[in-house]
Amino acid sequence: MRKTFKAKIAIILVVIAFLFFFSNDFGLIDVEKTSIITAIAIDKENDDYLVTAQIAVPEATDTNSENLKAQLTGKGSTVGAALKDLGDVSGWFPKLAFCNLILVGNSLTNTNVIEALDYFAKTLRVQDSALVALTEKDAKEVLSSSTPLDNISAFALQKIMFKTQGFDNDVASTDIKTFCVGHYSKNNSSYMPLVKMVSSGEDGANSGQGGTKSQGGSSGNESGEKTKDKKVLYDARSTALFKDGHFVGELDSDLTLTLNALTENFKGTTLPVDGVLDSSEKKSNYLLSVTGSKHKIKFVKGDVPTLSIKLSLYCKISDHAVEGSTEALSENKPLPKELTDKTHDIMRDRIDRLVKKSIETKCDFLGLNEKLYRFNHKQYSQYKDDLLSKMKVQITVNIEGQK
Amino acid sequence: MKLQKSLTQNTDYIKSVLSSDDVTFLSLKIKETDAVLIFVNDLIDKNNVGELILRPMQEFSGAIEEKTLFQAFHSPEKKCVYTADEVVTDTLLGNALLLVDGLELAFSFGLKFFEKRAISEPPTSTVIKGPREGFVECLPVNVSLMRRRLKSPDLKFEYLTVGKYSKTPIALCYISTITDIKLVKNIKEKLKKIDIDAVLDSSYVSKLLVERKTSLFKQVGNTEKPDILAAKILEGRVAIFVDGSPIALSVPYLLVEDFQSASDYYNSPYSATAARSIRVLSVLFALFLPALYVAAELFHLQLIPLSFLLTIVNSIKGIPLSPSYEMFFTLMIFEILNEASVRMPKYVGMVVSIVGGLVLGETAVTAGIISAPTLMIVALSGICLYTVPELEQTFSVLRILFLIIAGATGLYGMLLAISALFIYLISFESFGSPVAAPFSPLIKEDLKDGFYKGFIQEMTYRPKSIKTTNKKRLGGQD
Amino acid sequence: MKLELKSRQVCLFIIAFFPIVKIFTAPSVLSSFASNDLWISTLIILAVDFIGLLAIVYAYKHTKSDLFALIENTLGKFWARTVFVLYFVFFFLKAIVPINEQKDYVELTLYTLMPSKLYFLPFFAVALYLCCKRLRVLGRAADVLWAFSVLGLIVLISLSIPNADYTAILPIGVNGFDGIFKASYSVLNWFCDLPYLMFFIGNFRLKKGDGVKIAISFLISVIMIVVFMITFYSVFTSIAYRQRFALTEISKYTAVINNIGRFDYLGIVLILVSNIFALSLPLFFACKILDKIFNITKKWISPIFVVGAQLVILLVFTRNFASIENFMKTYASAFFFIVGNILPLFLLALVKKEKKYAKNI
Repeated sequence: MRKTFKAKIAIILVVIAFLFFFSNDFGLIDVEKTSIITAIAIDKENDDYLVTAQIAVPEATDTNSENLKAQLTGKGSTVGAALKDLGDVSGWFPKLAFCNLILVGNSLTNTNVIEALDYFAKTLRVQDSALVALTEKDAKEVLSSSTPLDNISAFALQKIMFKTQGFDNDVASTDIKTFCVGHYSKNNSSYMPLVKMVSSGEDGANSGQGGTKSQGGSSGNESGEKTKDKKVLYDARSTALFKDGHFVGELDSDLTLTLNALTENFKGTTLPVDGVLDSSEKKSNYLLSVTGSKHKIKFVKGDVPTLSIKLSLYCKISDHAVEGSTEALSENKPLPKELTDKTHDIMRDRIDRLVKKSIETKCDFLGLNEKLYRFNHKQYSQYKDDLLSKMKVQITVNIEGQK
Repeated sequence: MKLQKSLTQNTDYIKSVLSSDDVTFLSLKIKETDAVLIFVNDLIDKNNVGELILRPMQEFSGAIEEKTLFQAFHSPEKKCVYTADEVVTDTLLGNALLLVDGLELAFSFGLKFFEKRAISEPPTSTVIKGPREGFVECLPVNVSLMRRRLKSPDLKFEYLTVGKYSKTPIALCYISTITDIKLVKNIKEKLKKIDIDAVLDSSYVSKLLVERKTSLFKQVGNTEKPDILAAKILEGRVAIFVDGSPIALSVPYLLVEDFQSASDYYNSPYSATAARSIRVLSVLFALFLPALYVAAELFHLQLIPLSFLLTIVNSIKGIPLSPSYEMFFTLMIFEILNEASVRMPKYVGMVVSIVGGLVLGETAVTAGIISAPTLMIVALSGICLYTVPELEQTFSVLRILFLIIAGATGLYGMLLAISALFIYLISFESFGSPVAAPFSPLIKEDLKDGFYKGFIQEMTYRPKSIKTTNKKRLGGQD
Repeated sequence: MKLELKSRQVCLFIIAFFPIVKIFTAPSVLSSFASNDLWISTLIILAVDFIGLLAIVYAYKHTKSDLFALIENTLGKFWARTVFVLYFVFFFLKAIVPINEQKDYVELTLYTLMPSKLYFLPFFAVALYLCCKRLRVLGRAADVLWAFSVLGLIVLISLSIPNADYTAILPIGVNGFDGIFKASYSVLNWFCDLPYLMFFIGNFRLKKGDGVKIAISFLISVIMIVVFMITFYSVFTSIAYRQRFALTEISKYTAVINNIGRFDYLGIVLILVSNIFALSLPLFFACKILDKIFNITKKWISPIFVVGAQLVILLVFTRNFASIENFMKTYASAFFFIVGNILPLFLLALVKKEKKYAKNI
């Protein structure tokens, strides 16, 4: 190619680039026209989905200004349609890349929840790493509630649900992907935290932190006036269980903690053990801190699948309350036998209850079908329909002082 | 024209060519024979003319012939020339030419004398530790600076004259036992082919030597410091000095050269490596930060962490310009300030700083015309570019180009532009050496002096990126 | 003949470009047929490739002619041209699906807000520019881009590991030969890279031990691909087949991402740069073949034709791409297998025949 021709081509390319740069209007939606959705609440009204989006609204003031929130509701026969409706009336393009929390309202517990959540798992516009939780009331109400923890309720909710080692074993956090993986696996079961609102005892109007700016959507006006006035806290220590996408039961906070002990790293978690009778028949209350844990759930080979659950917890005493005691806490003090026995009994009982709950609800939240499928495929085909009811269970709990 | 025996005929011809008031034709006599001394008034050392030419002429008693006369003059720099054209050229170069009646030749004496700048530290490459001498505009001084550093008989200088009107002396400098002689020949041929009115600076030569004249990238290295040039010559490069320019050229040129600094070799390898890493990182910041910021704001919000995004949106809310326009105009203002500060007289420099820094920057942000992050990014990008000052011009053009591409097509467009630039650089050679070496092609040994600076003991061999006849530089000849 | 490459560059070429195209949509296609056995399907194709690679290395070692000259010397000009036409069709077809897939990837994952085709079209300008260059530019590109590919993959895989349950690949072989082979067959479009290496014959000198280095490089690329496939399945298990763009999906579940943003884009960007070259490779070789068949000396004629045709296909058939992709996964796969895996084996015979001729002369 001749040099001059090359130069001409280069000049044409630069001119085209300039043209694009300065025209800059070929379907481009910049940050100011975009709504940054931080959380979504899904409720159901008759056959329609009500999708409420919580949007972070930055304020053009000094650097100290806190971000406010706006809330919009869209309605549609599918979640996607409701989101579109939401964009149509606001003039904002819903940007879902920052949506890290999806709340499912209690109105969806009567339906197959996967129908709503699958949208987020399928589309590339939403992060399927977003946390998902069921709410005790309408999801919209929870989202529009006011909390002393943060101006934006979604951020407060995420704080209690994000996985932080040693801090969050009270909550069985789940993201969209994990929920769908459980649902589509051999287990056909999933779980997610159940969020309950608890009064904080603080009045929003007097606190001076009222940052909620609400806007009505196409179909939904801002509801939850009461919750706006009263500041609330969130309790997500219970877990909602789903089988084939349907809500089948709930794990209380003790069982949620036990589920976490059997499925993830339990280090740093605290365990209250109350009413331990010592040699002098005095009742003591202890708070144990878990310094290490080991868990193993597997099927032992045999004619009938035998589930072996082994849990070892290495603990130290974090707090010890006994009437009349002046003894200081010691890091290296061995755990009293009465305490380890009591803890052993508590944990064994909880595991037992957990397994029974699984059998009772037919929700395989421990992933037992998948385990049998992976490690004993032949037996799986034989027991795949009624594994939970037919399996035998061996539970071994071991409580020791810190390593 | 060949010189004739008749002095009048020769003088008349030369007078017709050199008819200028500053050229003196001094009529003299050697014994009884007529002679004429020709010189340019302001280029000659008149004391030496008396001492080295006129006195020996008066004392001369031998026969008027070439050999005896040549021996009679004491001037250390003398030669015989046989054509009128050579007489003219030598006169203009500052030599004194003596024509003697009856001889078909002229004696040329090197008695140049003119005012020259003292050797000082070049302002473009100052060092904290290390030699501070810099080249000056006078070619002989520059040659002497090289000779002082490399006292080897293998250090060769070859002289050429370029420029129809300027007749600028050019010196090629290389070490005959290291440099590939084909490279020297190639450069010489290219220099001989130069047909231009005048060569006023070495940059003329560098532009006339290159193979890709439309390239945005440098293809000839340059330096103002003799220590750097000596190191380059020792790596097998050829240096080119141009009379009248304090900047010496060197070929072949590798892109990595400009990321190396003289101080890297005088400091510990650890600090040199850290400094080079900072230079590379700075260049990446300078080139891509404005473009990335615009691309992220326009197309890829998900690249920015949420809390950071909210801060950015906070500051850009209410700004009338779109992020791409805003960045483009702020960058343009920066370039204008930069250009003005270079050209502006020093005593008004303060005004530029105040107007640029306070009025344009602070006020524009306060007035809500441009946002604080944009201003910060432009400032950071501007400063970063000066960590590699040799490439400042190239990279500032590229920075604008990347910004345009990012504003028009986003991140993928940027990646495509980076790929195109990469293809361009890897297919690009400077006098047979790939400019992107030692990274592409990958030359493991040369990486020791790439972005990482190895210990001096490890650098046994000269860079393989440059063709040399003697590969070993540490521990004897290869 | 001037040697365009070094054996080191051939090794790095394999590491830089072989794994990259395969980690976009191929993992999801593989898992839709072979689910947890996707890595076995991958290993089967790569094992077949390895046999072909040995034949090519033999040719590197025993002939100094380039591929065209080798075929011409042994089978005559007519056959040389016929084989080259076949390879032209191979490369041209091979480029279609990955380029369209890249367009979708760019539009759907990088430009989530109202993407326009305009964002991807400049790719063809870069491909055109690369196609005008000589073979040595590929070698030099590999010298740098291998680091991009390896680093990108390391970033993505290491961010994915905390979320991967590697027991998900059990039970091995449960999908049966049918599923495993069907998966292998369906992704041949993304695999079958040996013909690139065939065109390096005669363009570099194989020194002692270089053959082993090339084989090791191939094994490294196999490890990179298989580890990615296994990690991908271990992260998504039962929903792996639904993750069309494995590259963006695999690493975003790490806690780090939640705290500091999409850090994984650093790895993705590195891989995208390598992929711009990897996608242009079939076009590059198609251009060189065209130059050889028609003795074209002007370096920009073939690129304009080849890259232009690809651009037209992308623009015209956008809506019908599902059927084109389906065609590539079914009927064209047989062609890819024959030309990409079977024909290279004939190099052994050709090289022996050439040696015999040389002896007789």
